[in-house]
Amino acid sequence: MTNNATLSEATTRSRLVGILVHVLLIGASIAMIYPLLWMLSASFRPENEIFSSASLIPSSFSLRSYIEGWNGLPVSFGRFFSNSFLVAILCVIGNVFSCSLAAFAFARLDFRGRRVFFALMLMTLMLPYHVTLIPQYVLFRGLGWVNTFLPLVVPKFLAVDAFFIFLMVQFFRGIPKELDEAAMMDGCSPWRIYWKVIMPLSMPVLATASIFTFIWTWDDFLGPLIYLNDMEQYTAMLGLRTFVDSTGVSNFGGLFAMSVLSLVPVFGFFLVFQKLLIEGIATTGMKR
Amino acid sequence: MVRGKARPWYASAEGAGYLFLLPWGIGFLCLSLGPILWSLYLSFTDFDLLTAPDWVGTANYVRMFTADAKFMTSVRVTFVYVLFSVPLKLVFALVVAILLNRGIRGLPLYRALFYLPSLLGASVAIAILWRQLFAGNGLVNQFLAQFGIEGPSWISNPNYSLWTLIVLAVWQFGSPMIVFLAGLRQIPADVYEAAQIDGASRWRQFVRITVPLLTPVIFFNAIIQTIDAFKTFTPAFIISNGSGGPVNSLLFYTLYLYQEAFGYFRMGYASALAWVLLIIIALFTAFAFLTSRYWVHYDE
Repeated sequence: MTNNATLSEATTRSRLVGILVHVLLIGASIAMIYPLLWMLSASFRPENEIFSSASLIPSSFSLRSYIEGWNGLPVSFGRFFSNSFLVAILCVIGNVFSCSLAAFAFARLDFRGRRVFFALMLMTLMLPYHVTLIPQYVLFRGLGWVNTFLPLVVPKFLAVDAFFIFLMVQFFRGIPKELDEAAMMDGCSPWRIYWKVIMPLSMPVLATASIFTFIWTWDDFLGPLIYLNDMEQYTAMLGLRTFVDSTGVSNFGGLFAMSVLSLVPVFGFFLVFQKLLIEGIATTGMKR
Repeated sequence: MVRGKARPWYASAEGAGYLFLLPWGIGFLCLSLGPILWSLYLSFTDFDLLTAPDWVGTANYVRMFTADAKFMTSVRVTFVYVLFSVPLKLVFALVVAILLNRGIRGLPLYRALFYLPSLLGASVAIAILWRQLFAGNGLVNQFLAQFGIEGPSWISNPNYSLWTLIVLAVWQFGSPMIVFLAGLRQIPADVYEAAQIDGASRWRQFVRITVPLLTPVIFFNAIIQTIDAFKTFTPAFIISNGSGGPVNSLLFYTLYLYQEAFGYFRMGYASALAWVLLIIIALFTAFAFLTSRYWVHYDE
């Protein structure tokens, strides 16, 4: 009897705690995304109303900020966005291709010096990019690549993101070795094994690398800031920054509207690949 | 054996190995190893990009530690930022992860909502948003005004500006939170059941089971987040308009390095700055690994 009483008491208590936790979490998540929602709502508000209220629902709905923002600089944001897409897509191709080649060599092929090269690759993982920033700038400037997309894209074709090589090596090692051996028996060259056996089986890790490369390149600010001087070449991030500078405090609507647009591709990836992104973070601790 | 001599060199494991490694090899030599050595050399020179580097010995390093107040400021700003943003971020991440790990309904939704700021946070757009939120007439002060508090203009007041960036960093606790969630899931449930039978309170279970078993993940998160915090650039640049102001209160180390290199074209001095950053990060990492044996438990 007493036992039953304490039991139901305990369930009531844990239910109460459960409700309390939910209230806490709902409150916290609202606080977390409130700034984002506020920016979204501000971008649809008439200019004079942007700062007048903290409410999320605009009194009237206007697309003016988007139109004015899009054309707010001498070069339209359409140009910036297409530049960003071009750079990001080339970087994705470069990273997937070059990192998977290196990872295949490290994980599946036997050759002299493999361990040494692998150790060197791991060392570059820890290196802060600041150390190579200046010599790389001097190098690319000497090659006449400043004000082109080449300094942003070419390194990706040379597997500079050791992090993805590491990730792919881990994945490739998990694929049964018998597959290679069987293919080898059938007279497959290493190239064919890479292309026909390993790559098709590695879609999850290739997708992870692609998505993160895209998002990081899209958001990259320092690289474009250093290498791109001509507004025609600007990426969306540089465009936003210029917008802050050039309009000063005058066109907040346009600024917010373009900021919202610049978040759309990243948010889109998040919606579509949520599971993959979260698994990627959980297993590797990737930042961002 | 089938592996006859007919196989061309590039199809043998040896030849193919080198061939597959070729892009990485070129990248490693030209974009990593070469630049590292070059930057070490440049750090002992005066180099303005237009004339040949001029050997000055250790003058750059000497100047940094004896005559450069801005260097000292940037180190202080960065250390304050790291010291406050990383622990706060980790505490939030851990607390929310534990709340979410109770087998809660709607977990995927909560997880997504808490993770979203981390994902979007690297964008210039978020830095711009932050600047407006904490502006004198921004949302934060409007909110405070409802309670009769008149907030300062956070961004332009050097006493508060750095704290707005710390808040921004803490707001992005989502990715360490997800790593904590994954770590919490590894802790077997029967450990808690045994503790419950022994009558251990929830707090005791947390202190005696959760934290010790989670130390490898805490360690991992702390390292990753700290290294990342040292490298913070974009929000500092955007919020201070590239100046590091007001009164150098947002002069992050990386921002100062950028200014020296690409504002004043003092490439030699900036290279020395880069090397000092490398050494700071290496020392920090080494220290963390050395002390880890006293507090990180890897036993099953």
